[in-house]
Amino acid sequence: MEEEKKKKKEICNIAKASTAENSSRSVSALQALSIHLICGLGLAIGLWVAHNLYSMNVVSDPSRTLRLIWIVESPIVTLLYSWFRLNPEQCSYLKAVGRGILALPVGALVTALGAIVLGAPVSIEYLPKTINWSLLMSSCMFVPAASVFGSSWSHWQRIFAYTKPNESLEYMICIPAHGAVIGAWLGAWPMPLDWERPWQEWPVCVTYGAMIGYLLAMVVSLGFVLVHGGRQHRKRD
Amino acid sequence: MTSTTTSFTKFTFFTVAALVFQITGLSLFVFGFFPVKPALSGVSGWESFFAPGCHSVENQSQTQMEMGLSPYELKSLYQDLSLIPPLFDRLILMVIDGLPAEFVLGKDGQPPRKDLMDAMPYTHSLLSSGMAIGYHAKAAPPTVTMPRLKAMVSGAIGGFLDVAFNFNTQALLDDNLLGQFLRIGWKMVMLGDETWLKLFPGLFVRHDGVSSFFVKDTVQVDKNVSRHLENELSRDDWNLLVLHYLGLDHVGHIGGRSSSLMGPKLLEMDEVVKMIHLSTIQTHDNDRGRTLLVVVSDHGMTESGNHGGSSYEETDSLALFIGLKNQVSISHYASATHNSILQVDIAPTLALLYGVPIPKNNVGVLISGTFDCLTDHQQLRALELNSWQLYRLVEAQLPGLSCGDFSCSGFIDDLGSGSGECSGSMEKILRCLFMNAANLHNSWKYKKETGFESREDYRSTVTAYHEFLKTASEWLSRRVTDKPVPLLAFGVVAMALSCLIFLGLITCMSREVYTGEKQHLSGSSNSKIRWCLDEAFILGVVLILVMSMGSSSMVEEEQYIWNFVISTLYLLLLRKAVQSHSGRSGSALFLKAQNKRSDFQLCAIFLLLISGRILRGWHQGGVNWTHLPDISKWLEQAGSNLIRSIQLTSGLLMMGLGLFALFLFVTNTKLVRVVALFFLISGFLVLWHIMEYQDNEFVSSDYHATLLAQPINSMPIFLLLMQIFTSMLYYSSSGPQNKEWLEVALLYYVGMAGHFALGNSNTLATIDVAGAFIGLSSHSTLLSGILMFIITYTSPMLVLLSMVMYISVKDTSYLAIPQSVDLEQFLKMMLGFPCLVPLGLNSILLTAYTVVLLLMRNHLFVWSVFSPKYLYVCTTTVCIYIGVFVVAATEIYIYMVIAFRSKIQVSISNGIL
Repeated sequence: MEEEKKKKKEICNIAKASTAENSSRSVSALQALSIHLICGLGLAIGLWVAHNLYSMNVVSDPSRTLRLIWIVESPIVTLLYSWFRLNPEQCSYLKAVGRGILALPVGALVTALGAIVLGAPVSIEYLPKTINWSLLMSSCMFVPAASVFGSSWSHWQRIFAYTKPNESLEYMICIPAHGAVIGAWLGAWPMPLDWERPWQEWPVCVTYGAMIGYLLAMVVSLGFVLVHGGRQHRKRD
Repeated sequence: MTSTTTSFTKFTFFTVAALVFQITGLSLFVFGFFPVKPALSGVSGWESFFAPGCHSVENQSQTQMEMGLSPYELKSLYQDLSLIPPLFDRLILMVIDGLPAEFVLGKDGQPPRKDLMDAMPYTHSLLSSGMAIGYHAKAAPPTVTMPRLKAMVSGAIGGFLDVAFNFNTQALLDDNLLGQFLRIGWKMVMLGDETWLKLFPGLFVRHDGVSSFFVKDTVQVDKNVSRHLENELSRDDWNLLVLHYLGLDHVGHIGGRSSSLMGPKLLEMDEVVKMIHLSTIQTHDNDRGRTLLVVVSDHGMTESGNHGGSSYEETDSLALFIGLKNQVSISHYASATHNSILQVDIAPTLALLYGVPIPKNNVGVLISGTFDCLTDHQQLRALELNSWQLYRLVEAQLPGLSCGDFSCSGFIDDLGSGSGECSGSMEKILRCLFMNAANLHNSWKYKKETGFESREDYRSTVTAYHEFLKTASEWLSRRVTDKPVPLLAFGVVAMALSCLIFLGLITCMSREVYTGEKQHLSGSSNSKIRWCLDEAFILGVVLILVMSMGSSSMVEEEQYIWNFVISTLYLLLLRKAVQSHSGRSGSALFLKAQNKRSDFQLCAIFLLLISGRILRGWHQGGVNWTHLPDISKWLEQAGSNLIRSIQLTSGLLMMGLGLFALFLFVTNTKLVRVVALFFLISGFLVLWHIMEYQDNEFVSSDYHATLLAQPINSMPIFLLLMQIFTSMLYYSSSGPQNKEWLEVALLYYVGMAGHFALGNSNTLATIDVAGAFIGLSSHSTLLSGILMFIITYTSPMLVLLSMVMYISVKDTSYLAIPQSVDLEQFLKMMLGFPCLVPLGLNSILLTAYTVVLLLMRNHLFVWSVFSPKYLYVCTTTVCIYIGVFVVAATEIYIYMVIAFRSKIQVSISNGIL
């Protein structure tokens, strides 16, 4: 099965490489706004459900709350961004969704490793928290990119290694992902302080930081999309 | 050489100048900020009842006379010598933690608030009936319990360095009241705060310590003290009973001054006072002796209940003497409550009340009003004893004072010239005041003998004594608490100046190098100028560090910051490596080579990241989370066999790594083989040592850096070495991709992170004192200090020494041909960054931390957190100096060899021509 998938992906890749790279559907400012709104709402719904139906929050039960949030968030993100996949003629919608689903655990592995390297605790009791946190991070960062770009190295490299997005869709993927990472990084700073608050535990304040960063970055990316779209229009004129 | 490039000599000159500035600035600051206490060693003995300056008396060893005496004999000796009969036999010292004197005595002539008055009815009845006399005792900052207790019992205001140099012991080693009491055979009992037990280990015959750790608890903590009280009061086998109630301080911490719990707590304290007064003082039980109750508080509290600083609210502590039988009964309520003294005045007063010598380093003055029931003669004698003690202390500070040998020959010589205005230098003033008082006293004595004494003479003598005591005491305590502002300012300015010079040199250097490089490889000049993310971050790290220094918990947990920023830096480098990696397995040769290189870089960075994570997990450092599990604790639980095998493995691995590095970096010649052989021999010696001495705790040495680490640390040191080598490999492969200063800075950071990974922290408690005595046959402060330094600063040292390797690894191909390039320039390029960047970074941190320390001088944690950290910062500076010196010396030696060779070459070629 997996080999088949890989083969299919390779075929898909080769096909993509042969076609022009910028053949994705263009994103209007309104579409961008609605995508970001829905993604943000996804987080909010997750938190709301956790708080009201299960009466828990990130502080009291981080593991289960995070699980709930990523379960709500990841399908939304996958379904939304798969619509704007590259080369829609050659890659079907379902394939893009599949890429997104595949990227969820892989991306989670990468984020978990990154977190551990940066100092997240590795003991057994923290393992579910780390896993759920990294799944949430993955669904914010890697799933959209995977759904849209598939395994196109040049895109991944440009977005994540160079941070040089150059069209609306790339802005919408790149900036929130970076926002989430930077937010999480900044969110880790209160952890060593001796305030003895429950939210200083891993991964509570990191999660808060990531969410805030993600939401802020979506606003920023919206701004970029507006400016960028305007510039493109002017260019066309 | 072009005109823009500064010459090597100029560079060296500036560097050395900056270094000199830094060293002078640092030493000025340290001497200014950390006051050197006017300390006299030893304990006051019988000689304190004789006038100072009598060398014939003082030169006799005190022990000679006192050694054979039993406590009882000593007590009677003191009584005979002091000429003052002890007024009391037993003392109850009741310490109420954090009680502001305002609560009991009121403020500015006004009685305290109605509710506070009502909360302590018995105490106020005592005050108004003249049975008690209360004082506002001004405490010196830091207003924290332990230093305040020390001040009360020793009369001295402590400096920081004397705390810092008593590495692990908190015991009070200076001359103090309790020590004096012990010498005359007192039995002592302590109930309350366990700080007393830390200060005086083994001194109390019975004790029940409570911890001040549970701040939320305001009830149980005092119940635990009071539960023994009834029993203790009914016994007669003690002479000193110390009660230390913490509850009131806890109430303040929870709810501030106007907390609703304050009234009940004060009432509880009042009950205790009542109980003691009724049971021991009022019943004139002659077989138990006369008892004095002294109620004191160690410090006050602010409106919100905090303390530590130097505001009036915090320093306004209480001293209440209950049971002094004043002949002149104080009918006036106000006069019993509105006296202001210093907290240190308690020590000499109690000493003289109980007929023991005043502690040697006391700066306090007798409290007037406590000796009213004595005769005139005895009161003057008490003042005289206090003056002699203070005069001795002043003498230790001002050696010029003692030049006149006036006191032995007697004072009668110049009787008439007693009174007169004193002016001039401090020395002269103090000497003159002392002489005045002594002369007046003598003339009073003379007149009394002849029967001509008058009230007027007596009063003027008392005034003269008080004038001397007040001046001397103020001068002495100012020496301790006052910071000499010009000294500090000059120190900070000098350090800032040196910091600026270093930064200027680095920018100047980098401008030269990169413009030079650009000319050299004029192709891709665009990317050179661009400010990379990792470079910006490495500068950001400095900013982060400087900011984090302002927070006490960040200082305590500094290792997290280093690990975090180092890992982030590696991740950024990873990102950079990915940038140059093209995903396609292209067939072009250039692409292949590039991919190979970036693959290699990726592997190196992964290795760095993983080893860094293991290093971080090895020791759970810091202060607040030391109880969490870490690898070293786990290994220690697993047993010594496992530790030994890990030690062996890491030893072997270290050898392997060393050999690998040796053969990798240097072409294989005979010389290398010889070096390798020596390396192997020393390595095997170490291994043999480990195998042989199974129970021996310590591994002695390693080839690369003489390590005397704990066995548990052998693996982290290997990991550190591996990190360094991997970084070297990474740098050698990266070529001009990374700027040199960035790499050196990263190495410096690795060294600092490693410092914490080896289990060090910013408290003095983690210094491995035991390791400092390995291999020393006799006690030597210098040698063990050096060993301690090596153990503690293993990691930064290792990194700095690896700079030598770094220089050889770094590709300096554009300067490769020695004939075409000036050798001095070559040397400058080699030495510039590896020496300047650590110095520059350190100077920034040092200067910033100095400013932080100045700003935090009134912070609650200034002595417990910030000052130890400052000592560490200073030692790191020394470490950097040594490391940089070694690197520079090595490189200059190499330079001289090269210069010599090229000279020979030139002469040979000339000869051929």
